[in-house]
Amino acid sequence: MAPQKILVLGVGNVLLKDEGLGVHLVRRLEAAYDFSENVRLMDGGTLGLRLLDPIAQADHVIVIDAVQRGADPGTVQKMSADDLSKKVTFKNSIHQLDLVETLAYAEVLGQRPTCVIVGMEPLDIEPWGITLTPPVAANMKELEVLVLEEIQKAGGSWRLKAHAPQPFGEATDYVFGDSCGNHRD
Amino acid sequence: MAERIVVDPITRIEGHLRIEVEVANGKVTNAWSSSTLFRGLEIILKGRDPRDAWLFTQRACGVCTYVHGLASVRCVDDAVGVTVPDNARLIRNLLMGAQFLHDHIVHFYHLHALDWVDVVSALQADPVKASKIANDVSPAPKSGPSDFKAVQARLKKFVDSGQLGLFANGYWGHPAYKLPPEVNLIAAAHYLEALRQQARTARMHAVFGAKNPHLQSLVVGGVTCAADLNPDRVSEFLYLWKETMDFVNNVYIPDLLAVAGFYKDWGSIGGTTNFLAYGEFPQSAKEPESLFFPRGAIFKRNLGKVDAVDPAKITEHVKHSWYEGDGALNPAQGETKPMFTKLDTADRYSWMKAPRYNGEPMEVGPLARVLVAYGKGHEPTKKAVDGVLKHLGIPVEALFSTLGRTAARAIETKIIGEAMEGWIMQLVENLKKGDTKTFEPYEMPESAQGMGLNDVPRGALGHWIEIKGKKIANYQLVVPSTWNLGPRCAANKPGPVEEALIGTPVADPKRPVEILRTVHSFDPCIACGVHVIDPQSNQVYKFKVV
Repeated sequence: MAPQKILVLGVGNVLLKDEGLGVHLVRRLEAAYDFSENVRLMDGGTLGLRLLDPIAQADHVIVIDAVQRGADPGTVQKMSADDLSKKVTFKNSIHQLDLVETLAYAEVLGQRPTCVIVGMEPLDIEPWGITLTPPVAANMKELEVLVLEEIQKAGGSWRLKAHAPQPFGEATDYVFGDSCGNHRD
Repeated sequence: MAERIVVDPITRIEGHLRIEVEVANGKVTNAWSSSTLFRGLEIILKGRDPRDAWLFTQRACGVCTYVHGLASVRCVDDAVGVTVPDNARLIRNLLMGAQFLHDHIVHFYHLHALDWVDVVSALQADPVKASKIANDVSPAPKSGPSDFKAVQARLKKFVDSGQLGLFANGYWGHPAYKLPPEVNLIAAAHYLEALRQQARTARMHAVFGAKNPHLQSLVVGGVTCAADLNPDRVSEFLYLWKETMDFVNNVYIPDLLAVAGFYKDWGSIGGTTNFLAYGEFPQSAKEPESLFFPRGAIFKRNLGKVDAVDPAKITEHVKHSWYEGDGALNPAQGETKPMFTKLDTADRYSWMKAPRYNGEPMEVGPLARVLVAYGKGHEPTKKAVDGVLKHLGIPVEALFSTLGRTAARAIETKIIGEAMEGWIMQLVENLKKGDTKTFEPYEMPESAQGMGLNDVPRGALGHWIEIKGKKIANYQLVVPSTWNLGPRCAANKPGPVEEALIGTPVADPKRPVEILRTVHSFDPCIACGVHVIDPQSNQVYKFKVV
């Protein structure tokens, strides 16, 4: 049987500081690791409902995002999609259509993958800034390790690239690379 | 004996361009370019409020609509003496950049590619080999053997049904097609992929312009999309831009290099002599000093000497056009007086006037911009051009050609796209500082003159206005297509496309794909059908071209 298809989806608005942490991390993973064939990384940004197609094509989705639950800024969080309720201010409702709704659509289509959400409590998600705040930047490495563990648990594998860039430091600016993610369907 | 071929209309979107050539011994020996549609916007604008001009002028076209809107507001900005706020300048640049990305992708794939790509040959391709070739040059998605097999199956269904649809009646199997079947298959797959991408790229205009075509957010003195300067909308623009650049870097540029590699002989066909660029993308209120793409003129292909541009040296001739008189006027004093209609290549044969700079015909557009920037040592352009020349193993002289024109278009797409990132971030920085100003008030003067010089996907675009009693007394547009596709001038010098066609090989007059290659490389933005007339037998060959 073919290994299950894993989608690692970083979402958020990179113009709102910590709100973009999921995107920052996915870009970091793209730059630093080679993944097994069944793993797809995606900078989901603020694409909203346009994420429905890649989500519905996956068997398992690992979402990386800022999660506001009132913990200390930088606290790494993990939950299953079923834990999500409207009580959790997922994305602070900034996106035009949030992930919870997109997952609901996938369910209606009968194509909802299993889903885990990992992220961090943000410190600042006010406009404007493409840099993560210090407590969040400081814990990006921890979040990276957690995501890699989740990928492995789901049946994916990876290798550190020979010339992998340095891990996150304190001042993490959003980087535009040559490859802008794979979100063409 | 010389044979005459008429291709009318020639292009793939809008009609009304007629090309007539004389062929002897398998080569074009003379050419005439005629525009068979009268525009008349100048006449419509007389007596109107100058603030409304941009809404009329962007109706000059249904494809590059924004560019005429922008040329017009800049022209009236100039006349009323207003300097637009920084944010307005950035938004206008971003919308113009989006226009370039959209336009050039559409041109390369949907208006030009089938002059070089034989879609029917793609049916013979081995999808596994095609996948390997594609993966060797680019990390583009959808390039596995099964992807190419699926595209091939779709193409085959088209062909077997006898209904080629948009690929009907091409010159398939013509000996001038040089690509191996696998490369034809890759290009055909990307032709389809580009259809999807261009629709998404066009959405960038919707973010800050409300709609595409015919944007709504310009105004003399700035822009009106103030409410859209919020994180959601800016981020949406950013994502559409990123997605487009992904396509440019992973699909468009690799395809250009792959296809060009098989057509290096076109590096010595279809060239012209003189080049004019107005420059574009102001980086501050100072023009032309701050323009990202510089303004300049090159004569006799001398890249070592780029002249400054003096707008007073621009004239429009009508001796071979269907207008009253036979003089030449600067557009600031220009006239539009339609008079004749009889097509006679020895006398008057076009609705286009013949613009000249210092009396010379000038090619405008991607090649002119790239050459002027290259000649002036513009760093990103030098790097990109040298990279492409090295990759293809061709000398710098090969730029003066149909191949050079097509390559220049791809090169500037990447350069402009990359520059847009900086403009988005400048906008973010301004907003961060609390600078949300998008409009500068002004007073409409009793009388004034203004000029707006833009460089747009197809080339140098100028609008000129004269205001009297707060109304438009005179308005003239000198558009890229008139520079490139205009007729002979009072001194009987051929226009650029007429010049470029001379020497073009024509293997089979009934299937003049070589003529299409050179004419389409100028992006004439017209057409869907071709008629070829054989004057000996007076037989008319009709071809539908895609």
